[in-house]
Amino acid sequence: MKKQLAKLVAGLTVAALASLSVPAVSGAATTLRIWTDADRKASVEKVARVWGKKKGVTVTVVQKDFGKIRDDLKTVDTATAPDVIVGAHDWVGELAANGSIIPLTVSKSVAAKIPSYSLDAFSYANAKGNKVLYGAPVALENVGLVVNTRVAKVPTSFDDMVKQALAFQKKAAGNFGLVIPGGDAYHNYPLFSGLCGYVFGKDAKGNLNPNDVGVGNSKLLANAGAIDSWNKTGLLSSKVDYGIAKNAFLAGKAAFWVTGPWEKDTLDKSGLKVKIVQMPKNKCDSVPFLGVQGFMVTKFAKTHKVESQARDLVGSYMMSAGAQTQLSSENGRAPANIDAAAKITDPLLKQFAAAGKGGVPMPNIPEMSSVWGDLGTAWTNVFKGSDATSAKTAFRTAGKNIVAKIG
Amino acid sequence: MSDPTNRYNDHWWRHLVVWLAVCVAVLPPLYVVTAAFNADQTLSGSSLIPRALTLENFKGLFVQKEGGAEVFFVRWFRSSLIIAVLNAFFTVFIGALAAYAFSRFRFKGRRMGMLFLLLIQMFPGLLNLVAIYLIVLRTGEVVPALGLNKLTALLVVYLSGAMSVNLWLMKGFFDSIPAELDESARVDGATPAQIFWGVILPLAVPVLSVVGMFAFVGTLNEFITASVLLETVDNFTLPLGLQAYVGTSYEENWGSFAAGVLIAQIPAIIGFVFVQKYIISGLTQGSVKG
Amino acid sequence: MSQSVRYRPSFLAWLISLFSGVGGLIVKLMMLCILNGITGWAIIVLFTQERVIWALGTTAVLASIDFIYLVPNRFLPAKFILPGSVLLVAYLIVPIFFTINTAFQEYSTGHVLTKAEAIQTNLEQNAVQGDRYFRMAPARDSSGALVLVLVDDSTGDAFIGRRSGLEEIDPTTVEVDDFGDILPPTGYSALIGDEFFEIDAELAAFEVPLENGGVVRTEGLSGAYDSAPGFQFDPTSGALVASDTGVEYLDNGRGSFESADGEQLVVGWREYIGFDNFTAVITNPLVRQPFLRAFAWTIGFAGSTVLLSFAIGLFLAKVIDKQNLRGKKVYRSLLVIPYAIPGFLSLLVFKGLLNDDFGLINKLLPFDPPWLFDPWWARLSVIMVSVWLTTPYFLLVCMGALQSIPTELVEAARVDGAGRWQVFRKVTLPLLMVVVTPLLIASFAYNFNNFNNVYLLTGGGPTTEDQSVAGATDILISYTYKLAFESGKGQDYGLASAISIYIFFIVAAMSASGFLRSKALENMK
Repeated sequence: MKKQLAKLVAGLTVAALASLSVPAVSGAATTLRIWTDADRKASVEKVARVWGKKKGVTVTVVQKDFGKIRDDLKTVDTATAPDVIVGAHDWVGELAANGSIIPLTVSKSVAAKIPSYSLDAFSYANAKGNKVLYGAPVALENVGLVVNTRVAKVPTSFDDMVKQALAFQKKAAGNFGLVIPGGDAYHNYPLFSGLCGYVFGKDAKGNLNPNDVGVGNSKLLANAGAIDSWNKTGLLSSKVDYGIAKNAFLAGKAAFWVTGPWEKDTLDKSGLKVKIVQMPKNKCDSVPFLGVQGFMVTKFAKTHKVESQARDLVGSYMMSAGAQTQLSSENGRAPANIDAAAKITDPLLKQFAAAGKGGVPMPNIPEMSSVWGDLGTAWTNVFKGSDATSAKTAFRTAGKNIVAKIG
Repeated sequence: MSDPTNRYNDHWWRHLVVWLAVCVAVLPPLYVVTAAFNADQTLSGSSLIPRALTLENFKGLFVQKEGGAEVFFVRWFRSSLIIAVLNAFFTVFIGALAAYAFSRFRFKGRRMGMLFLLLIQMFPGLLNLVAIYLIVLRTGEVVPALGLNKLTALLVVYLSGAMSVNLWLMKGFFDSIPAELDESARVDGATPAQIFWGVILPLAVPVLSVVGMFAFVGTLNEFITASVLLETVDNFTLPLGLQAYVGTSYEENWGSFAAGVLIAQIPAIIGFVFVQKYIISGLTQGSVKG
Repeated sequence: MSQSVRYRPSFLAWLISLFSGVGGLIVKLMMLCILNGITGWAIIVLFTQERVIWALGTTAVLASIDFIYLVPNRFLPAKFILPGSVLLVAYLIVPIFFTINTAFQEYSTGHVLTKAEAIQTNLEQNAVQGDRYFRMAPARDSSGALVLVLVDDSTGDAFIGRRSGLEEIDPTTVEVDDFGDILPPTGYSALIGDEFFEIDAELAAFEVPLENGGVVRTEGLSGAYDSAPGFQFDPTSGALVASDTGVEYLDNGRGSFESADGEQLVVGWREYIGFDNFTAVITNPLVRQPFLRAFAWTIGFAGSTVLLSFAIGLFLAKVIDKQNLRGKKVYRSLLVIPYAIPGFLSLLVFKGLLNDDFGLINKLLPFDPPWLFDPWWARLSVIMVSVWLTTPYFLLVCMGALQSIPTELVEAARVDGAGRWQVFRKVTLPLLMVVVTPLLIASFAYNFNNFNNVYLLTGGGPTTEDQSVAGATDILISYTYKLAFESGKGQDYGLASAISIYIFFIVAAMSASGFLRSKALENMK
């Protein structure tokens, strides 16, 4: 019995072995692999193919969840790793510190067509304090103040905005004056900068200084009383989350909404009459955070022996007006290239772009990961209604916690 | 457990209590239902009664929008179903094997083994996924079917917990099956394998159904492991595909997501209705006693 | 096994019992063959990949598996435990060792490369860029050697760049095509198509030395710039030396280059650092200060979630568990619905429901509790939602377990004159607890680390009175996640691993002691 069993197993094993086909040996890597998110896949594919055709390079575009592009880059296997990634500028510090992306140099003629702040956004200081460029900025996004012009006028000043908002709020139950997602440091940034708050200061060479945290700076604390009054009058509440804000505005029940170009299609379809502007100047300019998206060359381009190709694609082609115009039209964001930006015809997109004037790129140093949570908590706490923390305390504490976390 | 002499079995208070519980249980899922038919693509802001009814959310799952991302809903659904059925089946099988051994055999390290299997689940899995990713990556270089982006690999990873997670539940049930039954079978000349298949498992159908149900539903809803191991959209499981389709950041279309989840729940509900009678089918039916 | 047929209560059971005969043997052999086939294949592949140790190891494992299954009547327990164990070891135990290994490393943002890569990256990132930029075209000269045709972007001067140096040529010999690319002068041939791939690595590393000590480096396929090294690597001392100041950056043993005055270069490497991560957890004031509060809350949260879910689940199971209750099947199906909806979706719905001003719950209630904004209310919310999510599990478990309680015991107690409640307390519950205690403990441990419930519902907030970094509903794992991934420079896998190990010991010790005190282990016949 035992022997028979063993024989049977041996026989069947050989059969099973034979049935397994030999995996095909993949050809040498003569393609350039790009990781992109779903929203951009079609446009990136189109644009990169044009380049690839001219250079005789096959381009493979792989779709990834946006956030996962950054995470997966850490663990990816060399064989399937991307040579070029689409990413946000605020990843640059971390990715550069990890050596995952490689420095680029662009010609002056190319650089002249890209606003310096967006190039700076994609740069990270090296050991000598010099700015090193790591990516090609292609698209800009920022929040703006969306005004429902049927119920409110474009505000002439910050106080005018507050006055109009409160007046509209009192008109009917369920009305909102100004809706901003509660506890969200990104959407609330215009309020923050308007009261002279900042996240990181800059050192002598103009690089972000993680030791200069401006979340609890004295100017902001001196102006913080305004925040308390917005809470008291019910102008803002942390109970309004993104969904509530969006629904209220779309239902015509909010006069002003702070949001970004990702809602452009929604606004187009809403049937509302809107105008988008920068939030009016308060004590300081109420500028929004700027998000810059672009392309970066990974260290794997070297291993795959496509470094020069990848640099060419990112460092020259993707910065060109032609490529950026195409990307922008498919993706609904303002292009970084000045010539391409001049060609935007979509009114809302244009207004969003204008609302970003003078905006602050989200800090791209890795220390920023210490900031979001505590800054958000401070915003939650100050707009809690009757049991709100005083803004002075909230932001002072947030600043203290952030400094402690950065260590 | 029935007590036919008791007239109060169907007393009103039982219905009242259960109805209260049902209300609490179904309220949040109701939101998912209305969100699926709601024209507003938000979750928190919408009310229980939709502002405008629409079937767009369902349509969007099957028909690609102009300029939108490709939709593989049917494929995701199929992948999820296959993997959920297989996972449920093998989880029950592997778990039952181990539970039988721990219930019926006496061997060295048995008690410690059981304790170990309980404790091992308590290790915070914060970083396990990074390691699993690397293991699957390396395995794939040797056995492609167990490599990244393969549903088989995902299944095998799911099955790694099959023994430990349900061991105590199943062993407890197996213990309650009278040992005299094994004994009489052994006297008849049955081997342990025959006792396992012929005596224990048929009697353990209730617990097997429960465990299978857990595994089935758990797989249909599993997101994180799948998101680490599966790479391309066409290979995604349903939750992963829906998430990719719905998008990230602020543009979330919860309506489509809810619609997808609703469709995904159909097999779970059918499965439960099917399995329900087995869960309750009880040991005491038939002539087992003694 | 003709006898088994008599016991079968259902079709499914009958189907299963079929495997007790020849059918089962055939299935077993087939599965063994498939395993042998696949693993045998893997062994061959491993050999061809020259991973001999792996190949031999796999062979040994396969041989012992075959041996165990082919020898009749021996290793009986092993035969039953093996399938689960193999998978358990591969995808559960090995990852745990990975975590333990990581806990002893500096592995965080800026520490992911090998040391060699880190040196290379530092040299690359710190190269000093000059102010000249060239338009470039790679070409081959008459001897076939790679050269660069260069046109200075600002002056328009043209050069041929060789490995030996820069040679100025007449700019009029260089033409520019419609795309703005330059064409090599006569005597040089332009590269086309696949040639670009062949020379990619060579081109990327191509350097044309300049008289001032700098070099011209290529940038992509059509650009070049002059650059000078900012750092030099000194192989004898193992230091990176700054070219301008001469400052030496030495390996500090913690995965970084550090100068004498303590300045560290951002790009470091992964390095074993002993117990530093473990001590860092203890000495970190951000950990110590809120630890006791977070710890107490974690126990309270996990404990009350499990006990309440179990109590409600058992109660509902008992309520429904009456044979002639109308609508029993419908009730059962409705009550397990929370289990069928993906957990994260339910959590997001609850977040909306519990909204202070706009949530449905407060619209229905006569008063408005600040569910997610007040520390104590938020804690209550987290527990309530967790109970909602966990109850169906215990409902199902109890429904099944109640079936396994022998009816004759209950009936005997009834006959002895015991009331319903007494029967439940004295007979049903003790028997039930034997089965359920391990599950309660496992569920406790699961909730102890239930990151999702906390993170998705409250994000750990709201802040407590002392406004520490740990919020009121932060459990140990969610709080320490903040420390490992949302402070400093972000991702710190080494620290996170050390934390995981600490938490494991805490949970394991608590669970083991609870377990040993219960009767579950003694009851193992």
